[in-house]
Amino acid sequence: MAKMPGFVKGLQITARTGLQTMFPDGLRKPIPAPTRGAVTVQYPHEKEAPPDRARGVIALKEDNCTACMLCSRSCPDWCIYIEGHKVKAPPRRAGGKPRNVNKLDRFDIDFALCMYCGICVEVCPFDALFWSPEYEYSEPRIADLLHDKTRLGEWFETVPDFEPYEAGSEQKVKKVPR
Amino acid sequence: MTATSDPRQLSYIAHQAADARVNVELHTGDMTLNIGPQHPATHGTLRIATELDGEVVVRAEPIPGYMHRGYEKLSEVRTYPQVTTLINRIDWVGSFANEVPFILAAERLMEIEAPPRAQWIRTILFELSRIANISLFLGDMGVQLGAITPVFYAFRDRERVLNQIEAATGGRFHPNFDRIGGLKDDLPKGWIAETRDAMAKMRDFCDEMEGLLMGNEVFEARCRGVGVIPEDVALGYGLSGANLRASGVDWDLRRDNNPGLAWDQIEWKVWTHPDGDSFARYWVRLQETREATLIVDRLLDSLPSGPIMAKVPRIIKVPEGEAYISTENPLGEMGYYIVSKGDLGPFRVKIRTPSFNNISIVPWIMKGVYVPDVITILGSLYFILGDIDR
Repeated sequence: MAKMPGFVKGLQITARTGLQTMFPDGLRKPIPAPTRGAVTVQYPHEKEAPPDRARGVIALKEDNCTACMLCSRSCPDWCIYIEGHKVKAPPRRAGGKPRNVNKLDRFDIDFALCMYCGICVEVCPFDALFWSPEYEYSEPRIADLLHDKTRLGEWFETVPDFEPYEAGSEQKVKKVPR
Repeated sequence: MTATSDPRQLSYIAHQAADARVNVELHTGDMTLNIGPQHPATHGTLRIATELDGEVVVRAEPIPGYMHRGYEKLSEVRTYPQVTTLINRIDWVGSFANEVPFILAAERLMEIEAPPRAQWIRTILFELSRIANISLFLGDMGVQLGAITPVFYAFRDRERVLNQIEAATGGRFHPNFDRIGGLKDDLPKGWIAETRDAMAKMRDFCDEMEGLLMGNEVFEARCRGVGVIPEDVALGYGLSGANLRASGVDWDLRRDNNPGLAWDQIEWKVWTHPDGDSFARYWVRLQETREATLIVDRLLDSLPSGPIMAKVPRIIKVPEGEAYISTENPLGEMGYYIVSKGDLGPFRVKIRTPSFNNISIVPWIMKGVYVPDVITILGSLYFILGDIDR
């Protein structure tokens, strides 16, 4: 048998892929269904779910934050702005002294500056910051990308549970404080 | 006064003079053509100033610097964990591979070693980013030469690898997953099976590219014998990675100078090609992608269990000293020379990126080639602009 020209073989591959896209069910049901066969996701109409670990947006659980400034200091581009003041809280047990509690006044993250590295979420010792895989928060004005603490608190409802680990892992699965 | 007054003789002289004017060649030298800074063949903003004589390049000079971001200087005012997020952005197509040598250099200074499971996962993600990087080249080389289809196939199948990287690390392009002493997190459940699936798909993709591009007569005609780099010149210009292996040099840092990752635990092969032309560079990269999928499969088979983080202090201070670690990144040898003064951040970081050295051969290789071959050579050298300018 003579050697097949290379471009004919290339055309064969292209035609095969085209047929697989047009008829995803194969020969059993030869009805064209290119929307199902194509791998392209038609974004505004249909959406692909990102994995649970995807770093989409940072969510804040305000009750857990003590305004310790660790996240703000470890941010590589310093895009977290925190202000707080101390308030007297009622004692835990009856007859005790009133406690000093840090109250959060301002917690802003400027997503126009954020590099999505996740260091702030990692260093938070009080489980106040979480990643949420939501990604649809683009704004026409760049100043609107500064999310304040209520906006960050709304993101907290979209935080998924931590996934279990692969076999052979010794890590403990953390819990999201809901 | 003419010496002769014979009209026949005069007309003969006039004809001779007219012929001489016509036979003088057109002056074609001294035309300067800028390829780039905005050109699809340059993968970013690299400007190549070429001096042409007709269709032949007389002189070509790469002018980088349009995308310089100053990561070496920025690293001096960041702490060690913060530097990893910056150096992700050097070679943005295979970014996990950028973190590994930096972390390994810092670990060597601190004299700690990551546990075996972390080393295995590091190596797996390293190879995944190699596949993500080189499969872009495999499709993109077709676009440079006028074949549109391969790039769509490349983006379709590369997506599977990127999805696996995202599922494990949380970032598609900027994983920021490597930490001094281990990894940020362990693999999620079901990841190994999905990765095996993706690797099988990538092997199919390599077969497709072999049929679609490498067997194609037009592709061969435009690549064979174009941009030949002999072995000694390749070594002299400091090429590394697949560009060097395509010139017949059997040199791979993964095998020759393994800085402690899991490559020496499994069987694999270094591919070389004796020709040194554009076709050889494509061939070597295609074989490398296939080999990388096999490496990932074999590493997943032997993934040890255990912790993924060694004992490291909460605030990382690297003791005084200097260390240089280089690894075989998708584009070639990438190394970090860290000078530490015992602070929270490095005192000085020198980043040796492969693309910068790989394009340094452009003035040599482009002497006397035709203009269309410039694109073939640039495409087959395969550089990422962030890797040149950093």
